[in-house]
Amino acid sequence: MHAETGAGGAGPSDGEIVRAVLAGDRERYAVLVERYRDRYARYAARMLGSTDAAEDAVQDAFVRAYDQLAQCQDPNKFVGWFFLILRNRCFAEQRKGRSHVSLDAAGAVPTGERSDVATETAERRRALQRALMGLTGEQREVFVLKHVEGLSYMEIAERLNTSVASLKMRMHRAYDKLREQLREHA
Amino acid sequence: MTTHDFHPQVKQLLDGELTLTDLPPELRAEGEEALRLLAAVDREPVSLPAVTWRVMAALERKRQRRWTRAAWLLAPALAAAAALVVLLGRPSRPTASAPTGMVTVRFVLVAPGAHQVCVAGTFNRWDPAATPLVRSGSGDLWVATLSLPPGQHQYAFVVDGARWVPDPTAPAIDDGFGRRNSVLTL
Amino acid sequence: MRCLGGLLLGLAALATTLDAQQTIAERLSGRVSPEIAGLVQDLGGAALQRGLPADPLIQKAIEGNAKGVPEERIAAALRVVVTQLDTTAAALRNAGFENPLDTVEITAGAFAITAGLHGRDITALARTGRPTPDVIVGLRVAGTLAALGVPPAETVTLVSQTLRAGASPGDLLALPGRVQSEVARGATPAQAAAGLARAAAAQARHGPPPDHGHPSHPPAPPHP
Repeated sequence: MHAETGAGGAGPSDGEIVRAVLAGDRERYAVLVERYRDRYARYAARMLGSTDAAEDAVQDAFVRAYDQLAQCQDPNKFVGWFFLILRNRCFAEQRKGRSHVSLDAAGAVPTGERSDVATETAERRRALQRALMGLTGEQREVFVLKHVEGLSYMEIAERLNTSVASLKMRMHRAYDKLREQLREHA
Repeated sequence: MTTHDFHPQVKQLLDGELTLTDLPPELRAEGEEALRLLAAVDREPVSLPAVTWRVMAALERKRQRRWTRAAWLLAPALAAAAALVVLLGRPSRPTASAPTGMVTVRFVLVAPGAHQVCVAGTFNRWDPAATPLVRSGSGDLWVATLSLPPGQHQYAFVVDGARWVPDPTAPAIDDGFGRRNSVLTL
Repeated sequence: MRCLGGLLLGLAALATTLDAQQTIAERLSGRVSPEIAGLVQDLGGAALQRGLPADPLIQKAIEGNAKGVPEERIAAALRVVVTQLDTTAAALRNAGFENPLDTVEITAGAFAITAGLHGRDITALARTGRPTPDVIVGLRVAGTLAALGVPPAETVTLVSQTLRAGASPGDLLALPGRVQSEVARGATPAQAAAGLARAAAAQARHGPPPDHGHPSHPPAPPHP
């Protein structure tokens, strides 16, 4: 979630790929998809509550980004621009009321390795994810970016073009609401 | 402030600005409750391997809708295959030929502007020139019919002797070199 | 005498390995650089001694050369292949299979791992108690489903249910196409596989068709 300009390793930069795609080499877009599909998969999964919904959202965001690629003003910052498209897609999905309560956390415990501890961990994860789905999209987003993706308030503020103070306010409301929901369902 | 609200200092703890030992003794229990909440955050990575081909197939479907439909008139099987990808390779539904146990497979590629197309894979020792497709129909269509033994085969198309193109509508796996191989299971 | 017998067996094994390495060298001759050929001989020879197939290594080396991949990347890919073969062999042993393992089965399992399955998934599929040829097809189909984006859990459930239902190889081989059809109608790969697994489970409850033989492998040990 940190790099803005490229893969950070070998290979062409995001800017080079975007320019090649715009010049007609459409297949090169697959390189960008490969590069960023998993980086944002977790954000989408936690925002929408399920991996299946995240897959649809990430796919749709990449298709939309392709359609609007000429509007990406700084090709070297493709990833930040793409993130905003995915974010809009996640919020639109939520407005449609199609968010899902995740069962993924239980499934993440490998078959054959279930134990009381693992089951309890999975149950706590599921309860928190359920509570997260009870927050507003904005509250859930700041929680996910900070506590799932590990971004600082400053980094989130830059990404979302807002102030640290307003993010903190959102987050602190989220904490209270999560506590309330977890107690109610305890 | 309701009974569910965390104390402001506990919120600072959740934000990572304080530690549990910084809290006054009367807030420790609340602090521990808050940390249990954070401990339930699911940070497991999420991987969406299918997104790449789904995106590229979706883009091609959109592009094909804008295309002339002439290619669709050539043959239903080819048309169905032609609907999906930029450079599209699609083995036709295999038909078993009883005497030898071999399976007849037709590879079809739509490759606008290509001068030469071959298929290379585990069945011909990845020779990029051994198995050429022949131009058919409108000139963008390339076809080859092979008899392959039952089993698992990996392949890719080689366009103009240099460009390795997987079949985006077929299952594909990482080739270990940063590209994708298409998979044919007979 | 026992020592002499052991020595002779050892020499015979060494001769077999040297013979196999010679074969590897011949298959790679003119197709890869001498450095990669030497590495494949080393890795392949060691693999053969562990009862693993060398063919996937030969194929990967030739593929890398044909694609113009730099040598160090080919070398890295070869080591990954060895790991996948070892993982598969361990998974099959965990399922109760004993040496010598079927090299075609190992190759099929290694492919499934390349496609995204784990060792425990290979174990689960091998524990279905079906004959080896059916398990091989099952592993290939499982890898193909994973390559289509079906998550490992749904892949294992679908293929296991289908195997247990006594499906023919043709039925197994049809699964990826059926998943693709469902996906084309708007289902996710996971949803498509789950739906097909439910159908296979229903069939399994009515028992396998009468024309299927008994498993050639011993019954699976109980799940840990």
